[in-house]
Amino acid sequence: MKVEKNKHKLDVILQGDFNLNAVRQISSLLKDRTELTIDLINARFVTSKAVIYMHGLMYADSPVTIKIKNPPKIFFELLKALGLHKMWNLEEIVQP
Amino acid sequence: MEAHLYLEARLQMIGSATDFTYKWCVNMGFEQAVAARMALAVDEILTDIVLYAFKDETGHIEIWFQYTFSEIEIIIQEMGEPFDPERYVYDADKAMKENNFEGASLESVRCMTDQFIFLNRGKDGKEFRLVKRFESADIRDRLPEKYPEQKDDNDVHDDDKNGNSAPGGDYLLTPVTSEDAEDIAKLIYRSYKYSYSKEDLYFPRRIEMAIRHEYKFGTIVRTAAGGPAGYFAVIKSTDSMIGEVGEAVVSPPYRKRGLMKIMMESLIDMSRQRGLKGLFGEALTAHTFSQKVNRKFDFRSTALVIAKSSRRTFKGMDFRSTENVSVVIDFLPLTRRWMKPAHLPEPYTDLLNTIYDQFKAYLYRRSADGSPEDDPGKTNLDLMIHHEKNSALIIAREVGNTFELSCKRLFRSIEELNLTAIYFDLPLGRIPISSSVEYLKKNGFILAGLMPFYHEESDYLRMQKIMTDIEFDAIHTFSDVAGLIKKTVKKEYDESRKEQA
Repeated sequence: MKVEKNKHKLDVILQGDFNLNAVRQISSLLKDRTELTIDLINARFVTSKAVIYMHGLMYADSPVTIKIKNPPKIFFELLKALGLHKMWNLEEIVQP
Repeated sequence: MEAHLYLEARLQMIGSATDFTYKWCVNMGFEQAVAARMALAVDEILTDIVLYAFKDETGHIEIWFQYTFSEIEIIIQEMGEPFDPERYVYDADKAMKENNFEGASLESVRCMTDQFIFLNRGKDGKEFRLVKRFESADIRDRLPEKYPEQKDDNDVHDDDKNGNSAPGGDYLLTPVTSEDAEDIAKLIYRSYKYSYSKEDLYFPRRIEMAIRHEYKFGTIVRTAAGGPAGYFAVIKSTDSMIGEVGEAVVSPPYRKRGLMKIMMESLIDMSRQRGLKGLFGEALTAHTFSQKVNRKFDFRSTALVIAKSSRRTFKGMDFRSTENVSVVIDFLPLTRRWMKPAHLPEPYTDLLNTIYDQFKAYLYRRSADGSPEDDPGKTNLDLMIHHEKNSALIIAREVGNTFELSCKRLFRSIEELNLTAIYFDLPLGRIPISSSVEYLKKNGFILAGLMPFYHEESDYLRMQKIMTDIEFDAIHTFSDVAGLIKKTVKKEYDESRKEQA
């Protein structure tokens, strides 16, 4: 995982799929930062555990702003299957 | 190419397993996006197993990757803490309003696969089965309904099979390659239109992948102009050195010219060269044509398997279709090193001896015949679900003193699948299995017959449990031995029905 961070922001480029392993690594780096950018250029899929993690961050009492880059198509399929596609503001979350 | 992974149940292992899943699925013919869906489904299941089935305990997970021409099935087995996925139903409202994501991972699995089955086999562990079908072009959608050379005498079996004449005209006989796939699909369509029993042969991509992965080999006959005139293939068994002469077609204009005969002879030669110990045919019992043809090539009947697939119509045939299609298993040994089992189960000793007597020239008996091998103690049952046929095959790899208990657990776990038929293969020869046969009969199973060399080059006794009504009048057998088998099967079926009533 490639990481760039400052006091408020954490940027990661995942080297593989976005699953519970990746969640745990990101979680250990994020600490109390308020912005998180995840580049999924190398990910084939995003698991439900990763979706739940991001959901938890975005809708926490002290929310984290999440940006996602290069999500695989399967990510949107999963969001739809979990019924979150309407709740998440994808236009803001997904970066061009 | 089937595969098997044995993993330590740790989060760190999951990435390796999903990498393998993805690569294997791509290699077996899935598009990358479809392979990613299967890899995601596997990740979801493995993660849940590590988190909830084993928690802080150590344990192992086994994954089997199975390929058929129409689908891929991934079976994940573990022996962790009991768990019932039906209790965890995902509710999107609860997720959004209460942050309750219970059941999300299984919802994800259901979304990413075509079929998801959970089997709780009690002390024998839990099984998660993920099925994804191949999506590929169907030749029937791309070709016109009527071909100029199509005749109305299309038949489910080629009428030149019994001809002994040499082929007239100029034909080229070559082994099939994956490049012949489209020609084979067209040949099937032209000859049988929609009535051919093997659905996979209408999909060029499935044929191509099966030939490329050497799941089947065969021969194609071309005319002097290069057009396909006939095709015949052997489908290799995945767990034994035998093959099924399962796909045969001669285009109507080229029938009655001896093409089937030269193709069959070529197939038998190819099978010997590949070291196969035998060939079998599944001859439909709606008529006796195939059984007669098999007989001419020295195949002999060994079993009657009821309800092999669902209702089918036979174009141009002079008989009515039946609700379920049964097959006679016809077998041709290709080895003279075939050992007759020392122990044949009690109720079928005479019948099995009669079946074996057909193959006297190929058989020998163990020199130190007599004392049975030690009871292995444990029972090992493998389950194969044929999703398209709505049936299952249970293979007893080992029969020990836990046989009844293991059967009970397995039967319970598949109860809700609403199968139309369950087949049960018991190993012959190593240990006496009379009590196992008796137990299966008490549980509604009836005889099917002998399955020679069927698993790991060993003979098996097949029992069958049929959950639909069978019209025995519509089951036609050709040879005397096939008739004897049918008589026993019918008698046991009638008795079983009476007991149920």
